[in-house]
Amino acid sequence: MNIPDDLRYSAEHEWVRADGANAVVGISDFAQDSLGDVVFVQLPDVGTMVEAGASCAEVESTKSVSDIYSPLTGRVVEVNHALDTTPELINQDPYGEGWIFKLELADPADVANLLDAAAYQAVIDA
Amino acid sequence: MTSLLLSPLDARHRALDARMAPFGGWEMPIQYASVLEEHRACRERAVVFDVSHLGTVECRGTGAFDALQWALTNDLHRIEPGKAQYTHLLDAGDASVVDDIIVWWVEPERFFVMPNASNTSHVFDALGEADARADGEMQWQDITRGRVVLAVQGPEARALLNGVVPGAADVPRFAVAPVEWHGTGLVVAGTGYTGEDGVELHVDAPAAGELWDAIVAAGIQPAGLGARDTLRLEAGLPLHGHELGPGITPLQAALGWVVRWDKGEFRGRAPLEAERKRGVARLLRGLTTEGRQPPRAESRVQFEGVDVGEVTSGNFSPTLGYGIALAFLRPDVDPGESVMVDVRGRLLPATVVKPPFLRRR
Repeated sequence: MNIPDDLRYSAEHEWVRADGANAVVGISDFAQDSLGDVVFVQLPDVGTMVEAGASCAEVESTKSVSDIYSPLTGRVVEVNHALDTTPELINQDPYGEGWIFKLELADPADVANLLDAAAYQAVIDA
Repeated sequence: MTSLLLSPLDARHRALDARMAPFGGWEMPIQYASVLEEHRACRERAVVFDVSHLGTVECRGTGAFDALQWALTNDLHRIEPGKAQYTHLLDAGDASVVDDIIVWWVEPERFFVMPNASNTSHVFDALGEADARADGEMQWQDITRGRVVLAVQGPEARALLNGVVPGAADVPRFAVAPVEWHGTGLVVAGTGYTGEDGVELHVDAPAAGELWDAIVAAGIQPAGLGARDTLRLEAGLPLHGHELGPGITPLQAALGWVVRWDKGEFRGRAPLEAERKRGVARLLRGLTTEGRQPPRAESRVQFEGVDVGEVTSGNFSPTLGYGIALAFLRPDVDPGESVMVDVRGRLLPATVVKPPFLRRR
């Protein structure tokens, strides 16, 4: 399972690429593999305020529907509309083209509360 | 918790890195690599499914025909030895579909009755009841655990299978034939559950691994029950536990053709006749959506602002590229009407259609 060292993670299998006050969010390689073929993504609306831990998107595979929980508190400033027509990007490139939304963080210091790659690996192995 | 049954091919599935999941009391492959890829392979080329979780009850004897004729809704007089028939076993009290079944009429006094995984014991019990009513003798035996059933399906299924089991590829649709393969007697039927051409092969468990290997080596791709589900949904075929089951009659499921009223008495006839006279309270319909988001099982359906029913199965259609579903609706909500599906609190527009979503090619 691919777990890049330069990202932060939630125990619910989202990843975060933080850059100052902004953060890109997606789901981990482990999550996409568990879900199977992604066929639809319900993206959050741009401008929405989301709380850390709150459901803000849905990813549907042929097997199931899964909530995506925002790993951090902030405002949605951009969503990946490429997923509207090619949701399989989440399977093909979960840490790149398969990103889901971007947040303007309420407090960039919150990023430190997320898991690093080693801690996330431990969550998967548990 | 009872332990799950394993297919005789279990080790082969695991060697192929299949994702295994519980299904009807069995642990079976859900997917090998990708549900979508396996689905497309079945629509475009050929795949093989291990469907050993389906039951096989072998019925033999002078009374077998009459017993099955009483137990099941379809009419065996419409076929003959060497043919297969789709049929229903009804509850005697309320005409619910206890199970939907394929009968393989193997020899004049020998039938393979094939229920769904978890219903084999119900069917077995009903056969006892049927035997008591029929003249002649019937012996019936659950032979599920001693055999494997492989479904080879897809437009190239017969051509590819011809290189492996020549006689099997020649068995016509809804025909049943014995086929000799490497000293093992197979029973092959021109049946399936995908909306594609193909055959199903019944093989004794000791020879099953070798047959599986030969089929896979011929370029027929293993596919799991995930793809089998999206394939059957596109073909508008019911799945017991969703479109059929307790409280659901064949008439509600729009499968009235499975019931032959002119054949005489059968289990569940009286309550079903009563429903036919008063009219069904709900009817199985198809739903399609504009976009990729599918309605899902248990979502409620609204028509003109009023709740009119519930989705029983729904998914993204890999072939069509939009959402499809089967749903029980108030019977006056006709094909062509626009409805709303309550998908976790959001209303998803859908159109009522008459299944199948995809015509057999």
